[in-house]
Amino acid sequence: MKKILAIALVLCLAVGMLAGCAKTEAPAAAEKTFKVAMICDSSISDGGWGAACYNGMTAAAESRGWETAYTDAIDQSAYADTMISYCDLGYDMIFAPGNQYSDAVKQVAADYPNVAFAVLNGSIELPTANIMSILPNAQQIGSIAGIIAGLMSKSGVIGFIGGMELDTTKAKLAQFTAAAQVINPDIKVVSAYAGSFSDTAKGMELAASMINEGADVFFGDASAVDSGARQAIDQANGDTVKIYDIGQPADILGQNPCIVSSVVTDNARMIAICLEKVETGSFGNEVVFGSLENGAVFLGKFNDELMSADLQAQVAEYIKQLQDGTFGK
Amino acid sequence: MDWNTIAEVLTSAVRMATPLLFVALAELYSERAGLVNIGLDGIMAFGSLVGFLVCFWTGSPFLGVICGALGGVLVNMVYAFCTVTLAGQQIVYGMALNIFAPALASFIYRVVFGVSSTLAQATLMKTVSIPVLKDIPFLGKLLFDQTPMVYAVYLLVVVTMIYFNRTKSGLNYKAVGEYPKAAETMGINVIRTKYIASIICGFLAGMGGAYLTTCYVNTYSDGIVAGRGFIALAAVIFGRWSGSGVLMACLLFGLFDAMQLRLQVGTDLLPYQLFQMIPYVMTLIALTIFGSKIAGPKSKGKPYYREER
Repeated sequence: MKKILAIALVLCLAVGMLAGCAKTEAPAAAEKTFKVAMICDSSISDGGWGAACYNGMTAAAESRGWETAYTDAIDQSAYADTMISYCDLGYDMIFAPGNQYSDAVKQVAADYPNVAFAVLNGSIELPTANIMSILPNAQQIGSIAGIIAGLMSKSGVIGFIGGMELDTTKAKLAQFTAAAQVINPDIKVVSAYAGSFSDTAKGMELAASMINEGADVFFGDASAVDSGARQAIDQANGDTVKIYDIGQPADILGQNPCIVSSVVTDNARMIAICLEKVETGSFGNEVVFGSLENGAVFLGKFNDELMSADLQAQVAEYIKQLQDGTFGK
Repeated sequence: MDWNTIAEVLTSAVRMATPLLFVALAELYSERAGLVNIGLDGIMAFGSLVGFLVCFWTGSPFLGVICGALGGVLVNMVYAFCTVTLAGQQIVYGMALNIFAPALASFIYRVVFGVSSTLAQATLMKTVSIPVLKDIPFLGKLLFDQTPMVYAVYLLVVVTMIYFNRTKSGLNYKAVGEYPKAAETMGINVIRTKYIASIICGFLAGMGGAYLTTCYVNTYSDGIVAGRGFIALAAVIFGRWSGSGVLMACLLFGLFDAMQLRLQVGTDLLPYQLFQMIPYVMTLIALTIFGSKIAGPKSKGKPYYREER
């Protein structure tokens, strides 16, 4: 009895494999549907970085009729394996939303020359024949936040919370500091790293200790950790908002009472450029820049209750200077 | 460093130690019955999700904590069945919980909220200050102006100490972890005790997870547990399997973690990674200084076969 069952199972498997073979051959004749997959170390529903990147990818894919897939909340050890799986599944492009994936991408891209890899915040040196960097201008993002912080701070102390010491995070912190000091030369920046993008409680503790140091405007680059920081700010504020937060990379005005504005990165626009290049076969050896100039980086809506029209006009003026290259000169 | 900063560091230390303490006590009850449960991270993750969801829907953090605890029990019953009834490897099934439970929590969260960039936020448990005592300078705010959960966990430490050292039932319980065969011949139901231990462990670990999302931060995100289950595991060993020891270990870890965060904010001369090492390095040093003569319950980690000779 057992033997018959075993033989039947083996037959089933064999038939299944044949059916599988037949399936993969069929769509080649039909019109090709392109597919893009995203990997992510944080969750795509973190209300911050992961969510913004995922929404950017799906929006871009929808506009160009692509199929999407994602794997999120993975450890560093699984970056390469996950990408290899997608390559083997026949995906046309892998989207890696962060500089931390660069090494894994380089490794996998060498083995899969026919798959395109787009790395958000990848360095300028990264691109090869099948790798492209998507590089929102971290300097400008930091500067915009620094301008707002410099104008809003009354205590003369502003805070920055990073997730990990990535190149882009360091650039944001440097420009955040520099821009704030253009507005107010005596301003002091306190900064710290949570060592994680998902430990919300750490963000809370860091923000609480910065508030204790007198910080009254915050900017962060740490996904879910930022949510914790905003909660600590709201708790310290109580009913009247006197400590503020600047959001990124989506426009998250209204999520917490303390948010004055957001520095928005339009990922969808930059990803769509990559998708188009895959379709036309011109992908590779290139950096897609995102900046104030091409509209991929811009300032979100202001909270009118927290920021006077006069201050808003000043911010707009400084950002114009930033674009002209005359800011701080 | 002025008094204000010191008080703030200590308050932060207590805040950070509380979830650890819940989970370390959970592990203490489990190991005292011979069950090494390394699945604490998983149980916490599930507890934190259930706690958050219930709190989000009903607006009651208390209900959230209770449901989170029950969720923890539910998850830990998988472990109990596999390790007690099926006498499987405890480490293997503990690890299985760590993989299975957070993924389940993540799945449920996504089914409920979908993928959106808006963040779901629930109400937080209010602090209840104890009149008169809270006005003691310095210590008052630290010890008597906290959420009820904090009082509960310290009460639990005292109860645990009395239970294991001063009651017959507690000694019977410990006997199961030391030498289950002898315990069985004395009429102690070993299997039942192990199941009770698993229920307590699941309950407390789930509660520790729910504390994170109902008393600490008001959102749930994947990875919110951030390895706290493993630190609690170390705290039990460090605390020599005793209530008071576990309390000291958790407070010490909380203190060093709070300190490293302050030190990072205070200076930018040293790489931040150095500061982040502090809690772990201090734990290692403390372990070396105090040595490890006491090896914990003798039968921990070993499956129990009732009819084996």
